[in-house]
Amino acid sequence: MPGLGASFGRGAATNYQQDMANSDCILFMGSNMAEAQPVGFRWPMEGKLKGATLIHVDPRFTRMSAVCDLYVGIRSGSDIAFLGGLVNYVLTNDRWFHEYVLAYTNASTIIDEGFRDTEDLAGMFSGFDQQHDSYDSKKGHWGYEESRPGNAEQDGSKHTPEVESAKDPHVPQGYSRMGSSEPYTSPYEDIINAPRDPTLQHPRCVMQILRRHFARYTPEAVSQVCGCKPEEFIRVAELLCTNSGRERTTCIAYALGWTQHTTGVQIIRTAGILQLLLGNMGRPGGGIMALRGHSTIQGATDIATLYDSLPGYLPQPAVHDPEHEDLSWYIEYGRMPTGYWANFSKFIVSLLKAWYGDAATPDNDFGFSWVPRVDGDYSQLAYFDRMSKGGVKGYFLAGQNPGGGGPNAGLHRAGLRNLEWLVVLDWFETESAVFWKNDPNAPPPSEIGTEVFFIPAAAAQEKEGSLTQTQRLIQWHKKAIDPSGDCRSDAWFFYNLGKRLKQLYAGSTDPRDQGLLNLTWDYDFDEQPRLPDGTLSRIEGEPDLEKVLMEINGHRLNEIDPRTGEPHLVSGYSELKDDGTTACGCWVYSGVFPEPGRNRADERKLSDNPIQPEWGFAWPNNVRVLYNRASADPEGRPWSERKKLVWWDSEKRSWVGLDKPDFELTKPPDYQPPLGATGMDAIAGTHPFITKADGLGWLYSPGIKDGPLPTHYEPVESPFGNLLYPKHSTNPTVRLFPGPLNHIAHMPTAEYPVVATTFRLTEHYLSGPMSRFNSWLNELQPEMFAELSFELAAERGIVHGGWMTIHTPRGQIEARAMVTRRLRPFVVEGRVVHQIGLPFHWAFAGEVVGGNANDLTALVADPNVSMHESKAFTCQVQAGRLEGQALHPTAPTAHWPTLDPIPDTPASAQPEGRIGHGK
Amino acid sequence: MASREHELSALPQTSDPPRGRLSQLLARLISPYLHGEPRGPVPEVLGRLIYPFVRGEAPKPQQATGFYTDTTVCIGCKACEVACKQWNQLPSDGFNWSGNSYDNTNELSATTWRHVKFIEQFSEQTSNVLAPMGTVSDESPLNRWLMMSDHCKHCLAAPCHQACPTGAIIQNEFENVYIQADICNGCSSCIAACPFGVITRSEMGGHSHKCTLCYDRQRDGLEPACAKACPTQSIHFGPVEELREQASKRVDQLHERGVPQAYLYGDVPSETYSAMHSFYLLVDRPSVYGLPDAPFNPWLHMMGDYVRSVAGGLVAIAVLLVVVFLLKP
Amino acid sequence: MHANSSSQHASTKPPLPEQGGQIGYENTTVTKVPGWHGIIAWDALLNGMAMGLFLAAAVSELAAPAVFIGVAKVAYPVALVLLLVDLVLLVLDLGDPLRFHHMLRVFKPSSPMSLGTWCLTIFSLPLTAAAALSVLAKLGWDFERARLLAVVVGLLPGFGAAAYKGVLLSTNAQPGWKDARWLGGYLTNSALLMGCAELLVLSAVMRQTQAIAILRTAFIVLLILNMIPLGLLFANLRTIHAQLYTRGQQWRVGALIAVGALIPLGLILLNGGLLSISVAVIFLLADSWLVRSVYVKIPHTSPLEVRSGE
Ligand SMILES: Nc1nc2c(c(=O)[nH]1)N[C@H]1C(S)=C(S)[C@@H](COP(=O)(O)OP(=O)(O)OC[C@H]3O[C@@H](n4cnc5c(=O)[nH]c(N)nc54)[C@H](O)[C@@H]3O)O[C@H]1N2
Ligand SMILES: Nc1nc2c(c(=O)[nH]1)N[C@H]1C(S)=C(S)[C@@H](COP(=O)(O)OP(=O)(O)OC[C@H]3O[C@@H](n4cnc5c(=O)[nH]c(N)nc54)[C@H](O)[C@@H]3O)O[C@H]1N2
Ligand code: SF4
Ligand code: SF4
Ligand code: SF4
Ligand code: SF4
Ligand code: SF4
Ligand SMILES: [Mo]
Repeated sequence: MPGLGASFGRGAATNYQQDMANSDCILFMGSNMAEAQPVGFRWPMEGKLKGATLIHVDPRFTRMSAVCDLYVGIRSGSDIAFLGGLVNYVLTNDRWFHEYVLAYTNASTIIDEGFRDTEDLAGMFSGFDQQHDSYDSKKGHWGYEESRPGNAEQDGSKHTPEVESAKDPHVPQGYSRMGSSEPYTSPYEDIINAPRDPTLQHPRCVMQILRRHFARYTPEAVSQVCGCKPEEFIRVAELLCTNSGRERTTCIAYALGWTQHTTGVQIIRTAGILQLLLGNMGRPGGGIMALRGHSTIQGATDIATLYDSLPGYLPQPAVHDPEHEDLSWYIEYGRMPTGYWANFSKFIVSLLKAWYGDAATPDNDFGFSWVPRVDGDYSQLAYFDRMSKGGVKGYFLAGQNPGGGGPNAGLHRAGLRNLEWLVVLDWFETESAVFWKNDPNAPPPSEIGTEVFFIPAAAAQEKEGSLTQTQRLIQWHKKAIDPSGDCRSDAWFFYNLGKRLKQLYAGSTDPRDQGLLNLTWDYDFDEQPRLPDGTLSRIEGEPDLEKVLMEINGHRLNEIDPRTGEPHLVSGYSELKDDGTTACGCWVYSGVFPEPGRNRADERKLSDNPIQPEWGFAWPNNVRVLYNRASADPEGRPWSERKKLVWWDSEKRSWVGLDKPDFELTKPPDYQPPLGATGMDAIAGTHPFITKADGLGWLYSPGIKDGPLPTHYEPVESPFGNLLYPKHSTNPTVRLFPGPLNHIAHMPTAEYPVVATTFRLTEHYLSGPMSRFNSWLNELQPEMFAELSFELAAERGIVHGGWMTIHTPRGQIEARAMVTRRLRPFVVEGRVVHQIGLPFHWAFAGEVVGGNANDLTALVADPNVSMHESKAFTCQVQAGRLEGQALHPTAPTAHWPTLDPIPDTPASAQPEGRIGHGK
Repeated sequence: MASREHELSALPQTSDPPRGRLSQLLARLISPYLHGEPRGPVPEVLGRLIYPFVRGEAPKPQQATGFYTDTTVCIGCKACEVACKQWNQLPSDGFNWSGNSYDNTNELSATTWRHVKFIEQFSEQTSNVLAPMGTVSDESPLNRWLMMSDHCKHCLAAPCHQACPTGAIIQNEFENVYIQADICNGCSSCIAACPFGVITRSEMGGHSHKCTLCYDRQRDGLEPACAKACPTQSIHFGPVEELREQASKRVDQLHERGVPQAYLYGDVPSETYSAMHSFYLLVDRPSVYGLPDAPFNPWLHMMGDYVRSVAGGLVAIAVLLVVVFLLKP
Repeated sequence: MHANSSSQHASTKPPLPEQGGQIGYENTTVTKVPGWHGIIAWDALLNGMAMGLFLAAAVSELAAPAVFIGVAKVAYPVALVLLLVDLVLLVLDLGDPLRFHHMLRVFKPSSPMSLGTWCLTIFSLPLTAAAALSVLAKLGWDFERARLLAVVVGLLPGFGAAAYKGVLLSTNAQPGWKDARWLGGYLTNSALLMGCAELLVLSAVMRQTQAIAILRTAFIVLLILNMIPLGLLFANLRTIHAQLYTRGQQWRVGALIAVGALIPLGLILLNGGLLSISVAVIFLLADSWLVRSVYVKIPHTSPLEVRSGE
């Protein structure tokens, strides 16, 4: 999540869900936590019981709105306008937390003279490269002013870091290559020595740029763009302001209502700016809760299922990339001279040692050349775009259902139809497994050449492993039972696939096979594992995932642990070295397995400490609130008694507190880096954002591809032009995938006048495989429906409970009409616009089937993370049904009763639903 | 307790089948059947005949338990509904989209023992600011989406219990109203009697079912499945006395925070109904939630109805007698 | 398999377009219906006929043995047959008929169903005895004392078996029924009226002129008397009638019931022949069935505004 990384340093939720009970106010925006994370939502509710004010800003009045104190409806895709308005409100009304902002953010930093803001260029930043539809941030002078003597006043002494080309690696470099062949250029010059103006008066200091940039986001403008009233906006603003400061904190929670936009990263950036200005970062009950989805989606980004990053957010080296040719270049390019990322070389070398073991030596660059290079964009959208055009031969699909849940699912299915072979590992025969026979929009099976191999997968309870959830908490789960029949865990599948491949290539001397051959691949159980009931597991060949976790944690290779006879486990990433004496599979997770037999992810100890530090293990280093140094004032005292978390204990000469300090423990608050300091030594005792090169929270962040400051642009499909910057309707760096299967209604058209968004229901899960094969859930939400307002229904003659059709340039579906006052028309730019809401849980496979909202959505992508825009697109709606689309369930309703009779019990006493009962 | 409460609960209840020796004797007689051993038609028939008359020892009374459901924190997630189905292995009731907000299971039944209700209360005005619980802005009109997780009220003097002719319905040691499905013969008296429409008869075995208040779990020291699953603690389970205290505090708190409509439903007896061991915190009239505004225990009419019924017969007999005596030769 | 609840909710409403998703629960019936119609209307009739016939015969026989001993001896077996048919209906109406005997594991005065079952069960014994001894008497084995004893013993449970039914239907939470304070009064009263009528037919068949004369008078008085509890019951249910039926429907059914009562009254007043008595009694029984059927049906009927929404 570069939106957070660019502002604070790490791309993850900053606080933990239980901490929301400590908030005085929570702004939910682009999140529907009560429906999507109902279990975690317990904590906001607890906060509310204690008196917190909950606010929901959303196009739809949801089950969460119902329990919030205030709901404000805004049109989909107008979030930057709303948040920008809040930033402007805080600045113009002088409601920002002066001490905090001055000490902990880059508000005083002076920006390069050549930089031009959207205010100067009518909606664009300087440095736009027309040819590639992207910014060249270097040419645009987005960087900090170069340190010249006699510039503005500077805070602290002057340092001279060794390398000029510092770059923020938290914007993983690989992302930069998405879509454009050009490597991303770095705007940074000398970050740590950039001139600053603590009076914040310099016209080019961040604060002044910020003020000018957001000046046009007045309550009236917000109202015009978002469709809410100015008073309504002001009420939210006032609540945030009065609930921030020394004594009080406000938390902002978001999810897909922010991310699934072509401006998603910038929406999150705006929230980051707001929270920095209000002084809510690093503090209890504050922060930004990125509410993530899939059980281990955070883990998936940490341990790099993203094609362009290696475990621990190290960039994936690329083909044709001179800077990544050899290890020294890679390190030079990827590290930062100051801040925590100065340790970059230790992370990558330890990773290579973990992967290639003894074969990785200083002489062969630790096997760096064996690491596969990315040669293109392998993000889902771009990849399936290629597949749909016939550019891909075979595909492994493990635990994903793009044929049902991918944006523009029709295009995804067209891609699958173009494959020669497809391997689907899943619990159920999903749309992506039966697309060749059950897709009502596809040619007959005889015309589809894809050979589909369906591999039955084991369920979570049938395998061990870990999940890293939304608050970076790694939690281990043990295996409860063996999977039935031929079902196997994904780990089993890939472990054994790896073994076979190694066998296949054994003895090869081809250099390109050496990576595979040298890969350490020895996770066999020492003895056949046992199930909780003591019996031996039936499954052969399952890997021991605790061994994998130990590899992830890391070892000191030059030291044998007498207890195990194996290399010593490291206790945390501070032990890592870049000389090849340590191995570590993912540096951020280091410490999760600090000693033999102590799997901290498996710990479930409750204590008096409300933070519950012994319940699982949070990365990094079991810190639960990131940047928690900021919970104390510059002198190291808690901002207030009510909101204390960590503080400087001058007697112990150490940071102490409830949470593990996210700071060097013994660095005193008054520490000033000496001249020329590097690494962590260059971070002052008052700079809490230690993974930023200057240790500061970045109000202005040049590390993002669509601009150093957020700007409101309309979604790619919108019924409106950009009211704030009429010349630039949509994000100029947006990525499109033109093609016959992916038509876009670019300009506001009369053909598609209605705004649509997609959302989740508590009762179903994603594209549905995990819920639409379950009768208990299906009875709760049995059919695809669309939510629409009374006004729109009346206009189109749509009857509640009747049928309606929804059309976009990609496809059309039918749905039952849920006419409700929970949706209301918006008055935007003086004209009425209607919005509908579509749950995206139905498609053509399962026990219940129905129209698939993703047959309507488009393949368009945000420039930073290739996120699609399923939260805002345009459509047309009509009363009635589609013709010739009768769908039939592909699975029979669950067999009932599911249980055998209770033994030793007379027939007359058998509970209902047991076989053999009654008549 | 109000005097009415005494009257309501003083009603003679089950005269249980014999315990002790006779029961032991009967049990011995059909012991193979009781152990589920199929032994041909004769023992089967005999077993089924005698089975209902066999009784074990009554468990020791425990602290009365129940539910306090705070509807103001319910998020309508239906976790309780699914947890109940899962724990009790109840089948789904079919896939019917109702169009009544997000409620597609519609009602309690023999196969749905928990049911989450959704009530959309939105005015026609088009402002997009709504204060769902009325706390932040008193100026905004009432725009609410009420949710309520409904189930058996476990009435202290339960009409269903009073009506059951087989003694299948008992008040168990936790003072919860419990249907012994192995005794019920599907006469439906309880269905007719329940003022809340909780019970129906299952088509599967022809027996009546409803929330057991997770009797099986309680006996094993666990809290009911629905309460366990509720993420927002809308469903509080515990000793009834404690729940009442907790609930009234919450009502006071809501009154302070600008929700003057909050009140408790069923925590104390009324003129016409006993207290309920599961009671609710509501913010609108009961009927809005599909609850009777003033539940009435039908038993209150029973004496009078018997008197009228007997009188109707006696008068007729008297008339007949008079005519016979007058006209007989 | 979806095991839907058997007793379909009479008032589950289809979505109403004007309300959108804002349908709510305000106008729905809260209670569930027991599914007692059809069979139970017949049960109520047969129950009245059996118990009424026994009671009428017993009372008449005990009051004027000379006149009634002949018809009574025929009446008891007939009453037994009626009772048996009624019991079959009762068993069949159970969800699990094989468990009828579970009713007998407890005695619960609080439950009209329990009280009724016990009365019926106990009553069936003396009735069987009385019927058997009556038949035996025809065949020549006369145990007159024993037979009379059985009749006397049967009086109380027989009366109880007639009296519980109305209370069973009126002391519950069902719409309409719960307001029907006079349902029991009407049903018990009507049982004796029907019993008297049945006895009258039997007398006519057996050409017992004295009995016919007495019973004709009793019939007329009882029929008129029966209008009182019926009227009171009607008054109890005025509100629910208005919810369930249109004025026209109410008038039509009311007229039908009135005609059903007036025709036998007229016939019996005019003529004491077998034909007119039989026709009169058939009309009366039909009328009694109609009344029972209408009232038993009430909770199972959807309110008017709901039906119009369909
Ligand atoms: N029951 C259930 N739980 C889930 C999932 C599920 O499928 N089912 N999925 C899981 C996954 S993978 C994820 S990622 C999370 C996602 O969790 P969420 O992001 O909370 O879920 P959504 O319903 O997709 O979207 C959230 C809200 O964004 C609103 N919204 C739409 N457009 C906009 C907009 O432009 N601006 C703003 N401010 N709001 C907008 C929608 O109306 C919706 O209420 O949920 C997880 N939890
Ligand atoms: N329009 C629209 N589209 C969206 C979204 C939206 O908000 N709007 N949300 C998006 C989001 S946030 C997400 S995360 C994606 C999710 O999209 P997907 O990742 O495709 O999620 P699912 O559709 O649930 O498919 C997951 C599959 O994994 C299977 N599975 C579960 N556990 C295991 C296991 O242990 N092993 C294996 N091998 N298989 C398993 C399940 O049966 C299921 O078939 O959808 C996206 N699509
Ligand atoms: S599905 Fe799992 S992760 Fe999601 S809210 Fe429920 S318990 Fe939490
Ligand atoms: S709510 Fe109904 S079913 Fe539950 S105890 Fe009370 S009367 Fe019985
Ligand atoms: S249906 Fe069963 S539980 Fe209900 S009253 Fe009859 S016997 Fe009792
Ligand atoms: S207490 Fe048990 S039986 Fe009753 S609703 Fe809850 S889960 Fe279901
Ligand atoms: S589990 Fe709790 S919050 Fe969810 S619907 Fe049930 S009562 Fe409401
Ligand atoms: Mo997700």
